[in-house]
Amino acid sequence: MDVELAKPFIKAAMDVIGTMAFITPRPGRPFVKKNSIATGDVTGLVGLTGEGKRGSVSISFSKACAVAMVKNMLGDDIQDIISDVKDAVGEITNMVSGQARAGLSEKGLVFQGSTPTVIMGDNHSISHMSKSPIMAIPFETDAGGFTIEFCFE
Amino acid sequence: MSKLDGFHEKDFLEQVTILNEISGSSDSAHLPGLLFLFEKPTGDTGVDYMVVNALNAVLGANEDAVIQGLNSQNPAFRTLCIRAAGEYAFPDAAEPLADMAETETDLDRLTEILAALAKIHPADGARIFRAFLGHDDPMLAALAMEMAGAYADTQAIIFLKAAVEATDADRSYEQCDITTWKAIDALAAMGTPESIAFLAANVHHKNPTARRIITDALVRLGEPAIQHLEPLYGQGDVDQRILACNIVGFIASRKGADGLVQGFDKGFFTESNVRYAAFEALGRIGTLKGLVCLVDGLMETDELILMAVVTGLERHAAPGILKTISERIATGDERSTRIAHAVIASRALRLFEELYKNETVGAALLVELRKSQDAEILTDFSARLDQIGTDRSRADMLTLPKPKTATRKALAADDSKSMLALYRNILTDLGFEPLMAANGQEAYAFVEAGEFADVVITDMNMPVMDGMELVGKLRASLGYEDVPILMVTTESESSQRDMASRSGVTSFLTKPFKPEALKAKLLEMLGG
Repeated sequence: MDVELAKPFIKAAMDVIGTMAFITPRPGRPFVKKNSIATGDVTGLVGLTGEGKRGSVSISFSKACAVAMVKNMLGDDIQDIISDVKDAVGEITNMVSGQARAGLSEKGLVFQGSTPTVIMGDNHSISHMSKSPIMAIPFETDAGGFTIEFCFE
Repeated sequence: MSKLDGFHEKDFLEQVTILNEISGSSDSAHLPGLLFLFEKPTGDTGVDYMVVNALNAVLGANEDAVIQGLNSQNPAFRTLCIRAAGEYAFPDAAEPLADMAETETDLDRLTEILAALAKIHPADGARIFRAFLGHDDPMLAALAMEMAGAYADTQAIIFLKAAVEATDADRSYEQCDITTWKAIDALAAMGTPESIAFLAANVHHKNPTARRIITDALVRLGEPAIQHLEPLYGQGDVDQRILACNIVGFIASRKGADGLVQGFDKGFFTESNVRYAAFEALGRIGTLKGLVCLVDGLMETDELILMAVVTGLERHAAPGILKTISERIATGDERSTRIAHAVIASRALRLFEELYKNETVGAALLVELRKSQDAEILTDFSARLDQIGTDRSRADMLTLPKPKTATRKALAADDSKSMLALYRNILTDLGFEPLMAANGQEAYAFVEAGEFADVVITDMNMPVMDGMELVGKLRASLGYEDVPILMVTTESESSQRDMASRSGVTSFLTKPFKPEALKAKLLEMLGG
């Protein structure tokens, strides 16, 4: 059931980004994508396996949003914006994945998550490993948008 | 004396061991102690997390406690009981949960309640979920729709239909509401004649994503979908007829072939793009009747249709059919030249090998092969001649022209094998080195690998990544800002073309077309 799987990730993303980066995301209208491509400037991607399913979850940030998060997390301590953004997005994706999986395990759904991969590059695209439709939830923040995408099969 | 007495004073290892034991035994006697710890956590996240797990395990063995807990004043415990009721599918929890669903105002908890009910799957559950079909929260509505499908709730059909029709094409071409998706899947899951007929009637849904989900659902339904698609052959518009043929082809059931053959007999497939789709579908199915019809298709004059026919025959070539094709080519008239050309252009190597056995036919095929400038075609057929290994074939092999090295490249993306073969043919004729891709993603992979194309030809509707998205991505790629892009499409609706124009398409060509028309268009786009 995709909805039941997706909800904990949405909640975790809002919690983690709110707590760690002091940014309040506002969820938009979820939609289905017909292709398996996630598009964004910085994307954190984790693969998930368990419950006879496998899938992936990605969080794709716009550049502005990713930079704003890093600034909020590190303050004036930014050494190298590129590697700091990469690090922060990886860390946030990891926390979201962890928190969401903990939420799912309370419902008896146990998933293993891979270490996040971070992909950077203006308007890059990555592929989810799935033939089924991808559910995407767009978020708006004062610093720019990000999108969470799920696919399970 | 309970194991949990004085728990807070114990050290970490002891705490973990005790909780592990309780999780393993699921002994209800520990419920009060665990509840106490749940309300007064230790403050150590790891231990508190284990308390929840142990509590969950104990609740799993105690249905009464779970049902009682649904009324708990502690909201966290209530949620835990809701989840446990679902996880362990306690049937007696269904009624109190259904009552809670009616009054619950907190969205998160309501989702938990409905998710639990979905897992319990009570016999009268359809009614409960039906109430949420039109809920404001799209996720909740989607869950209700999923369950309407699981319960085959015919009373929900009217809502589901409305949800399918609601997705707005103009908002964004690549987005489709999740409720539309779930409604389509639910209608498919029901599999009633009414629900399938509705999906069939919407094969050409205005939103491309919804359209693909409907196509996938109908293909998944398989044979039962065929009788609802067949009426479209005679009654549908051009797009609906093409899509109906495509889907029946993908279902690949023998029953579908009969309907297609009848469609030809009744004269439903008059437009050449519909004929193309119908022959392509027959080629995928390959029943005897269908093959006879494909052989008749060898009379077609349109190069593209002929290539679809040859591709189908290549897949199912049987001795009787080979003989017929062989005879047709051996006549040496204009028609036989066209067939020989189609065999070469479609790279029908199996057919070629069989037909080549006849000397006259072999010679006719060689004439066409020598005209080709396509390096890959020449290499493939040359290798096949070598493999045949007779003196004649080896001698013929030496007469093939050396492929010219092209200086310009062209990128073509289409999910139809015969369309790609046609592009390859035309592009090599024009002196391009063709880069071929079965969808947008494959095409874009060339760009990411650093290939540069002087011109791009793309289909609109393709799996994985469609033409519009490909164009959008190309326009954002270095060096591709102004490259001429031709979109070839069967879409007759102008709204789709507007969207494509906005994504950066230079020019359009409607399928089917004469090869000359494509050549002329390409030359025009390249400035002569």
